[in-house]
Amino acid sequence: MLNEQKIKKMNKLAAYEAGEGKEHLAISNYYRSDYIGLALIKNFFLTTIAYGLLLLVYIVYRLDYLMENVHKMNLVMLGVQAVGIYVGMLIVYSLLTYIYCSVKYSRAQKGIQGYYKNLSQLQKLYEREERRTGKLMGRRKQS
Amino acid sequence: MTALLELKQKIKDLYGEYDTWIIPALKFLLALAVFLGINAKLGFLGKLDNIFVVLILSVICAILPVNAMTVIGCVLIIGHCYAVGIEVAAFALLLLVLLMILFLRFTSKDNLALILGPTAFSLQIPAAVPMGSGLLRGPSCAVPACCGVILYFFMDVVQEKSSVLQGKETEATQKLQLLLDGLMKNQEMWLYVLSFLVVLMLVCLISSCSFDYSWRAANATGAIAYIVIMILGSMFLEVHINIARVIVGTVGAVLIGLVIEFFVLGIDYSRSETTQFEDDEYVYYVKAVPKSVVTQSEKRIKKISSEKTADTEEGSEKPEGTLERSASEPEFDFEKQLEESLKDL
Repeated sequence: MLNEQKIKKMNKLAAYEAGEGKEHLAISNYYRSDYIGLALIKNFFLTTIAYGLLLLVYIVYRLDYLMENVHKMNLVMLGVQAVGIYVGMLIVYSLLTYIYCSVKYSRAQKGIQGYYKNLSQLQKLYEREERRTGKLMGRRKQS
Repeated sequence: MTALLELKQKIKDLYGEYDTWIIPALKFLLALAVFLGINAKLGFLGKLDNIFVVLILSVICAILPVNAMTVIGCVLIIGHCYAVGIEVAAFALLLLVLLMILFLRFTSKDNLALILGPTAFSLQIPAAVPMGSGLLRGPSCAVPACCGVILYFFMDVVQEKSSVLQGKETEATQKLQLLLDGLMKNQEMWLYVLSFLVVLMLVCLISSCSFDYSWRAANATGAIAYIVIMILGSMFLEVHINIARVIVGTVGAVLIGLVIEFFVLGIDYSRSETTQFEDDEYVYYVKAVPKSVVTQSEKRIKKISSEKTADTEEGSEKPEGTLERSASEPEFDFEKQLEESLKDL
């Protein structure tokens, strides 16, 4: 016999698993600190690559000027400036990543809580069904 | 209005019934518009500027998730830039990688706006992107929308200066300087970026308010803000903007906004109710606005035939997975039936 309530619940769970639940379930495999830590490490590499590319573009763009004036420039000061900008960029992007990942993690936690609640309700439905089937079998044995 | 609501209901019913086909079809049409827009703007690589290639790519996009459209669109742009020169293709790749790392990685769900920007520009309705994104998505959509503006103006620079960029006497560094100057010193681009940002934020802010007709007010405010920014920009910056075209484009964007409102929100403010109640901790001010719905008169076709009895006998065996049970079907005691069948066994 088809149990409408059970099917509706299963459909809801399956839709969640196929949609945003896929991402939420992947996130919930991590502790919060691990998830954010990993994201920050990834952010470090990405920001470094982006900064390197920006620096490269700047150098190529100002190549003529740099070639002509390189002997007049305070290269130590330039290096300090470049490192300062890099550190600033890294701090800004790390903060952004931290906020972004914290929000994402808390949203995933909320979604997963709802998912587990529905799962436990489904389990109860199964148990109730099993009990009913058990009763029927018992009645049959008595007769 | 009733006719419109009936039409909406019919479209909803149709969508509910055939969504498996309608979603890919819509994705196909969107991808077709996006790729044709890119080809119309750049179109330097003959192999990609081919309707069959565009159709095949659109079919692929119809199957894949929406973000695939963005990726394929970017690949098309790089391909066309490659036909202009390898340096231009490298710059396009660099620009996209930088946009991806610096901005787009935080807005992975809204990145369709990146590729919709150039399409809206080619259709002369750029304001539709910030207004539509503001109504449908959140403020985070401002990031890909503004990146879309940058991408469009990059394509514009490549198109305008293609003869210089294709010239063999131009050095690689000069090409890079040309492209960078075309972007960074392009006041029109920054004006559009500013207008997109302001319009999207305004539309988001106003549409999320609870006053009556907030979506329409957001639409109107966004349109006015867009036109005002454009007029001020053309007055105070060294930018030549065709105001008549801006106004016509904004009217088109407002119409798109109204269509979005009709299909997505569709509520009847004339029947809104406000109520106030309280419990031990809070006082609640509740405003309930009913959705505009019309009850469609259902047409039932009754078949009268001699094979009626046979049909009803066949009809008693329902296929697996069907949930609906007609009211006329007699109540069936499954427990009793099960016991009887067990006895037979």
